[in-house]
Amino acid sequence: MNPEKLPKRVLEAYIGEYASGKSENAVNRALDLAHLGRKVTLVDLDLVEPCYTLRPLKWKLEEEGVTVLAWDTGELIGLGETGNILKPEVRFCLRHPGDVILDIGYGSFGAQVLNLVEGAEEEQDLNVYAVINIARPMTGTVPDIVDHVRSLARVDGLINNSHLGEDTDLDFVKQGALIVKEAAAILGLPVVATSVMEELAPALRKTDWYGHPVRVIKRYLPQAFW
Amino acid sequence: MGVIEGEKKAFMTGNEAVAWAALAAGAEIMYGYPITPQNEIMQYWTRLAPKHERKFLQTEDELSAGFTTIGGVLTGKRAFTATAGPGNVLMQEPMSMAEAMRIPTVVVVQQRGGPSTATVIYSQQEVTLTCFGGNGEGLRVVYSTSSHQELYDYTIKAFNTAWKYRFPTFVLADGYQAKMRESLVLYDPEERGIEMVPTEAFVGKPGMPGEDRPPAHLRNTYNIEEELEEVLKKDIQEYEQMAPEIIEYDEFNTDGADILVVAHGVVFRSAAIAVRKLADEGLKVGYFRPITLRPFPQEQLRQAAAKAKQLMVVESAYGQLLKIVKDNLYGMDLPIRTLLRPGVGVTPEEVVADLRTVLEGRED
Repeated sequence: MNPEKLPKRVLEAYIGEYASGKSENAVNRALDLAHLGRKVTLVDLDLVEPCYTLRPLKWKLEEEGVTVLAWDTGELIGLGETGNILKPEVRFCLRHPGDVILDIGYGSFGAQVLNLVEGAEEEQDLNVYAVINIARPMTGTVPDIVDHVRSLARVDGLINNSHLGEDTDLDFVKQGALIVKEAAAILGLPVVATSVMEELAPALRKTDWYGHPVRVIKRYLPQAFW
Repeated sequence: MGVIEGEKKAFMTGNEAVAWAALAAGAEIMYGYPITPQNEIMQYWTRLAPKHERKFLQTEDELSAGFTTIGGVLTGKRAFTATAGPGNVLMQEPMSMAEAMRIPTVVVVQQRGGPSTATVIYSQQEVTLTCFGGNGEGLRVVYSTSSHQELYDYTIKAFNTAWKYRFPTFVLADGYQAKMRESLVLYDPEERGIEMVPTEAFVGKPGMPGEDRPPAHLRNTYNIEEELEEVLKKDIQEYEQMAPEIIEYDEFNTDGADILVVAHGVVFRSAAIAVRKLADEGLKVGYFRPITLRPFPQEQLRQAAAKAKQLMVVESAYGQLLKIVKDNLYGMDLPIRTLLRPGVGVTPEEVVADLRTVLEGRED
């Protein structure tokens, strides 16, 4: 990541298919920015399972200087499909100074959930990124990805997050990069990055096989049971 | 069928693996009612179903989901449902009927905290319920999975076991398996030489009843005790006869084990990691994993236990697996140590720590 190329305020929302890697990408992005000494707020916008993705990570993120807007497990009864209450600070998250990273988790119908965030619609500098993993059967081919991204409405860029968990190899990440590139071309959107797990990152440098910037992902989410 | 071409490596949650497996197995209809943590089975089935001309019906509750599944099966459809926790409690009424009438239902259970609403997350507290729930004798088949590949494999197998042997069949997993993410290989069963057992209708059969064929006299109720006894004797005999064909288990390092760890489902995963780690260090630890909780691999456990100095039962419940183990080991006099964590996950580190305490002769 080139610190000089970053805007004054990094405002990004991560959306996409269930289990596509939104939270892992959002968490890594928040930490990368914090490690540069920037003020960062990470926002949990999971509307169905609010604490479950971030809860074991909240303390760790806060230790590293990230402000986390998310329910503490003890503050909320897990009601699953019956719904939950939006945390008030989450509604006003864009008013936080510095960088704001929104993890638009489960229960989102694309960017519609941004309707709940004050000022999101007007905020031109907010970039909404669709995270794509071609190993997820519903977004495995170019036409599927194009349909999927179109259904999300407001999307400013794609992130290739193709992986098979422990069974990932660079070949698979490369396949993903190509497919996402082709889908992006049809959609008229940039491929913002290819995310690759840190074990495989040394083989790639700053950009992937097609010139997309590489984001190195440290796996934090396996510590979250869900 | 051709739902999946060739073999396809994919990355998904356990719930999705169940939906894909049901699709690949040729399931024709799912009856569903939402309850966490199995909702995504329904959600993915309803996304996939229209593309493959399969059906779905959301019912008003789990009682209905269970009964409508029976209804679907009676018309000869490969039908299934899924539930968890309090939904599983409600399912016992229709599942008792399925036991009574030998109806090949398939139910996937994603265990959550109990009793009652407890947590929407995880436990292994529905073992007693799934194996012996209802007001019958537990004439059921229950598979306990511990990976996404197994969720896929055993969901397909459940349809075949149900339709071949005609006992209600369950795939028992839990909220962690339902939600965690890992890779697996999706495949078309026929392409792997797995022939799907054909279904047949129980009602609306061709021909005149009494003349061309016996009447399809489906009963779940009898007039006197002796009638019931006759039916149950037959069902129990068949159940016991088919048990050896259905039983599945796994074991490791059982010869002369100082401790034999017994665990099932996702807790087995942790136990296996722990046991293998200590075995690599040269310690005499082994494991026994029942894959079918019903029928239980009794003979096989007794043989493994006979070679061990003591057993250790590990589960995310307060003795539900333990009770079954003790029942099956009746008459064998060997100490059983326990690691019981109702509603809470068990990590390999916790199992290792406990095993070391015993093996190094340190007792707290």
